[in-house]
Amino acid sequence: MSEISSVLLIGGSGFLGLHLIQQFYELSPRPSIHVFDVRPLPEKLSNQFTFKLDDIQVHIGDLTSFEDVQKAIKVSGANVVVHSASPMHGQNKEIYDLVNVKGTRNVIDVCKNTNVNILVYTSSAGVIFNGQDVHNADERWPIPEVPMDAYNETKFTAEDMVLKSNDPENGFLTVALRPAGIFGPGDRQLVPGLRAVAKLGQSKFQLGDNNNLFDWTYAGNVADSHVLAAQRLLDPATAKEVSGEAFFITNDTPTYFWSLARTVWKADGHIDKNVIVLKRPVAILAGYLSEFFSKLLGKEPGLTPFRVKIVCASRYHNIAKAKKLLGYEPRVDIEEGIKRTLAWMDEDL
Amino acid sequence: MGKVTDWAFHPLELKSAIILKCLRQPLFPLAESSLSVTKKRCYELLNLTSRSFAAVIKELHPELRDVIMIFYLVLRALDTIEDDMTLDTKLKMNLLREFDQKLDLQEWSFDGNGPDEKDRAVLVDFNYILYEYHALKPEYQKVIKEVTKEMGNGMADYIIDENFNLNGVETIKDYDKYCHYVAGLVGVGLTQLIVIAGFAPKSLYEDEKDAELPLYESMGLFLQKTNIIRDYSEDLDDGRSFWPKEIWSKYSSTKLSSFREPDQTQKGVECINDLVLNALGHVEDVLKYLSCIHEQSTFQFCAIPQVMAIATLALVFNNPKVLHGNVKIRKGTTCYLILHSRTLSGCVNIFEYYLRDIRKRLPVSDPNYLKINIQAAKIDKLIETMYPDDNLPKGLKPLDTELYSKVKERTKYDEAMEPIQTSEESKFFSIFLALLVVVVLPLLS
Repeated sequence: MSEISSVLLIGGSGFLGLHLIQQFYELSPRPSIHVFDVRPLPEKLSNQFTFKLDDIQVHIGDLTSFEDVQKAIKVSGANVVVHSASPMHGQNKEIYDLVNVKGTRNVIDVCKNTNVNILVYTSSAGVIFNGQDVHNADERWPIPEVPMDAYNETKFTAEDMVLKSNDPENGFLTVALRPAGIFGPGDRQLVPGLRAVAKLGQSKFQLGDNNNLFDWTYAGNVADSHVLAAQRLLDPATAKEVSGEAFFITNDTPTYFWSLARTVWKADGHIDKNVIVLKRPVAILAGYLSEFFSKLLGKEPGLTPFRVKIVCASRYHNIAKAKKLLGYEPRVDIEEGIKRTLAWMDEDL
Repeated sequence: MGKVTDWAFHPLELKSAIILKCLRQPLFPLAESSLSVTKKRCYELLNLTSRSFAAVIKELHPELRDVIMIFYLVLRALDTIEDDMTLDTKLKMNLLREFDQKLDLQEWSFDGNGPDEKDRAVLVDFNYILYEYHALKPEYQKVIKEVTKEMGNGMADYIIDENFNLNGVETIKDYDKYCHYVAGLVGVGLTQLIVIAGFAPKSLYEDEKDAELPLYESMGLFLQKTNIIRDYSEDLDDGRSFWPKEIWSKYSSTKLSSFREPDQTQKGVECINDLVLNALGHVEDVLKYLSCIHEQSTFQFCAIPQVMAIATLALVFNNPKVLHGNVKIRKGTTCYLILHSRTLSGCVNIFEYYLRDIRKRLPVSDPNYLKINIQAAKIDKLIETMYPDDNLPKGLKPLDTELYSKVKERTKYDEAMEPIQTSEESKFFSIFLALLVVVVLPLLS
């Protein structure tokens, strides 16, 4: 067995999920593509995607239900399962525990009981982040003892479960991919968030000195890394060195945080003449004040010390391992990715 | 602005000038009084052709000093033939293509240059150069001869290249090729000489020579491209152009000289920035190359032109004055750069400083805004792999890459430089304090 004959994309209706469908769809020969999610595929697809909705079979169910997941796997006959289901940032711990931990445990259990060969898990580069700078991090970097937040904590718990369940002797191979700063068509957070900032007139502020390097990764490239990982696990010649491993996935072109932001604003037709620079300590103080007064007024603060630390921190990664062992190369560059994302936003679906 | 006021506005540079002129001790001073007649004349010729370059060569380690002096003079002789517009083309072609064979002769000189040709003395007195060339070790002679042959042929090819002479440089590939013949070849030769001397690992030449763009090639191209960008106005006045059409045609639909028109300034500046982006593509290789040089005087010899180039690149960046005249870094800046580029970490800091300066002045509206940021980021990333210790989590060792190993090796030599630099600083401070007392005391009485 050396081809992906059938793939089940858990979370396939989501942001990354649609890109996963697209990448698997482009394979030759094309595998049978099945989606498992809590919701159906969107009725109307962005022009950025070329796959036909009718060609994708969707299974609606509960990720934490053994029966629901098992049924989807049996019907699909999948030899590869990709698990990219995950709640967005900014939600409460119970949701993260339910989906990321309990849901992932369930996926592993069902896969093992249903003779699935390959499980590719979408983890996060955030698993190593605790608010401190991340300079050129590779997979040797330790997991912080005190997690940054519940999201990253549960992502790591899930990743750890997936990698520990790797069992080559019994024909079950697993891998975890750690993408950083995913953006692209379907993204509801990164690029749309920046667009909103400009509309509020806040793009004239720069927090920090803009010397911190940041990794963004185009969603199509992230999806591509999943295809490559699955292919490598199916190939006996490469499966051994890939299985049970984590891989950072980026666009391999980190750049300065505000330069990326300004590139988005510029592509949107927005260039600030005069930029007001707030040094990091000043910005953090402003964050505390903003938080304080927002609480008094019963409003959600736009600026918080947490957010200041996030945008002032370096967060970039060394993807030599993914390049070497997965054969990964980012095929869509940042500028093109931003262009496609804005084109998708303008479709106003 | 007069010189005194110019200095006064840049006190750090004034301090650097004083340290450089009065307090710094050359590593290997040249004892000019004990030179032979022929060698003395060679060094005189060196002074005549380039005083600043002569100063650097004279401080080289004795193993390489005469070698590089001769190499420089031979190439200057070649340049002098190539530059002379009064020479008959056929004669010039023959001289260029056969110049390496002149090196086999015991005696040869040439007095056919025009009387106004600036460096004609190098050819009139070529006998002295030949004598000292043959005094070099055979391995050094071989390298100089090979580079001379290739450069002479390259120059000759360009003279008869009608398309080049009519239209200038077309593609970026042509641009790189032209810079290879003018400057890249010098890097090829110097690298071999340095390796033969044992001042850099053999791999610096052996592992690189089959690469598409060897590290030593980038050393030459970075310098040459910087000069080409800076000399736009001067070259146009001379009826020449070296900016590649593949780049400038993105900003002008007519001709290269149109950037001088007032309403084309914006386009001209965007073109300059695009050329700077292209040149910055060599910086990673430059830093890698410098990491390999472990003899101190040779390191300084290689580093000084590179830090001058990045300072010049920052000066021309987004600078409309380039389109209308000459732009140069201040003398004081030069002194500062020479003093602070004696260690690899000093060079890295200089590059980082100027890259940040470029980014700070980069307009968001520039067509290459993101590309320039990404290129600067790539260089920053490389620097962080060179010096990773401060940025790693507790207990994690740096990746022991080849580059990291070389930087560690180079750091030993850097550490040997620190007491020298500290000593210079404290001497300066003592003198400054003494002068202060002398000046202030009379005011109090």
